[in-house]
Amino acid sequence: MADLVHKPSQANATIRVSRLARIINKETNFQIALVAPLQLLLWFLLIVPTIVVLYLSIIAWQPILGDWTKAPIVWLKNYGDVLSDRVFWAALGRTVAVVTIAVSLEFIIGLGLALLFRGDFLAKRILTSVILYPMMLPWVVVGFTFYLLFLPQGPVNYLLRQALGPGAAVSWFKEPLLAFSTIVLADVWQWMPFMFLILYSGLGALPREPVEAAMTLGANRWHIFRHVILPMLKPIIIIALVIRALEAFKIFDLIFIMTDGGPGTSTESISLYIYRLSFEYQRLSYAAAMAVLILLLVTVITRIAIRPLEYHQE
Amino acid sequence: MQTETNKGVTTARIVETRKLGPALRFVLALIVAIIVLLPVIWILSISFKPVEEWKADPPTLLPRRPILDNYKILFRIGNPVGTVREMVSSAEPVNRAFLNSLIIAPISTVASVLIGFCAAYAVSRYQVGGNFMPFFTLTTRMFPPAAFAVPLLFYYSWILRNYLKIDLYDTHLGLILMYTGFTVAFSLWMMKGFIDAVPRHVEEAAILDGASPWRVLFTITLPLVKGGLFATTLFVFILNWTEFLLALEFTSREAITVPVQISRYATAVGEFYGPKAALGIIASIPVVIAGYLIQRHLVTGFTFGMVRE
Repeated sequence: MADLVHKPSQANATIRVSRLARIINKETNFQIALVAPLQLLLWFLLIVPTIVVLYLSIIAWQPILGDWTKAPIVWLKNYGDVLSDRVFWAALGRTVAVVTIAVSLEFIIGLGLALLFRGDFLAKRILTSVILYPMMLPWVVVGFTFYLLFLPQGPVNYLLRQALGPGAAVSWFKEPLLAFSTIVLADVWQWMPFMFLILYSGLGALPREPVEAAMTLGANRWHIFRHVILPMLKPIIIIALVIRALEAFKIFDLIFIMTDGGPGTSTESISLYIYRLSFEYQRLSYAAAMAVLILLLVTVITRIAIRPLEYHQE
Repeated sequence: MQTETNKGVTTARIVETRKLGPALRFVLALIVAIIVLLPVIWILSISFKPVEEWKADPPTLLPRRPILDNYKILFRIGNPVGTVREMVSSAEPVNRAFLNSLIIAPISTVASVLIGFCAAYAVSRYQVGGNFMPFFTLTTRMFPPAAFAVPLLFYYSWILRNYLKIDLYDTHLGLILMYTGFTVAFSLWMMKGFIDAVPRHVEEAAILDGASPWRVLFTITLPLVKGGLFATTLFVFILNWTEFLLALEFTSREAITVPVQISRYATAVGEFYGPKAALGIIASIPVVIAGYLIQRHLVTGFTFGMVRE
């Protein structure tokens, strides 16, 4: 009797399990196929070079010493040297300053423009193209352009002389702070359009219902922006800021072309310093240790920054 | 297309336009556009100036004696005369670099966006790889490239060549693989943002109707994130088109790109303002065209707003 009752239910369960398994398999195949190309590409490109960097960073080696496989392992000595290197800390501080100032300005201007462009007006499409133009130029070209603008006999000084008298001309690339400002200005000019593009797309992508609901409830423009639009836009804002900050942190071409780190080393960024260490001073082990430290630092900061975007247990 | 979109966002726009009139918006946008354009006008002007005007004091906004030599010299068209030619004789024409860039940048862009889009979908909908996978991908953008160039060069030109018999140094494929790999993090993260914003129940409805996951992905989700997809494509194309350091390290003759060519002009001939400005202008043309084509979709393609509750 008990058997009779038991058997069908067992059969049922088996059928259910196998169907479930089929669905899971299908789903899993789909998911694997989605991420497989990405994984293959990243492992092919990155895993060996990463190991090379890590190994380089724990040995005492310079190309001048010959075969790198025979170089002595010094473990963390390179790291210690980096941490007590004043030039490193100065370059790091300077890079952080560029990132903070430039990215904040880009974000504020970009958001303002995105809001401005939400409405309809004359020649909107052409004006959008014009405003997006700077980010389409190679870094090398932007650096060269701003170098020309701020030359002693260039147009900026000419305008200053016209407006404030002959004494107003400034040697832009001779004063550390002024040289620094021209670099920040060039970066803002080139990348403000990127912030504008992302935030403008993001604004356009928002669902209308919450805004409409807030309007019906009689909220004013500022409240709708602050409490409805901004929170919905938060993921896009974080992505835009993180992407821009990561790129700005590596600033190289602009400084290389405009000031070459000068006057002295007063505008040298961390990338430029690492480049100099590797290609001019040939201190590859030391540069590798510095690169690893930078990677760790950036990883930790980025990790914190993107925390709000991560998926938590639902 | 235009009207459809307008209908979709009219209500949201009414709030904005009531306070800030179209005329005022136009004036503000025009001012910003002019400020943005001034540096471009300056190199445009330099690119048409003869050598004696490059450093003229006082500088003039428009060339007094406009010439085309700076451009002709880049492609070796005709036989430009005077000092410019003597200065440029040590640099190569840009034809090859231009063609290379036109092959490398679009292919790696399409590959990067496709791979990134698929991965972003897996991350957004199934949390494949948890939080680690997207973050791991992002680390490709964290290394200062100056530091990564040396080990990567070592890998490409020694390990791959000797052990796997793959020669990727100074080839199109080598740069395409690298560019795809180094921009895919952006494709993934940007597309993840756009896919996250698409309500899940749209897809669930299709799945309940018996559509396969691939079908749902390409016929339901993809059209909904079209605006984001175009924005991402444009951005990745710009990165690939303008990338400098990797191209400098991994090409020598066959596969050199436009930015490398620009730098060669810089080193070959010192203060070579005119042709360098001309090359800068030319280098931006493909991106401007791409931007213009895609911009229609950026403006009309905000389809999220049309997803009905």
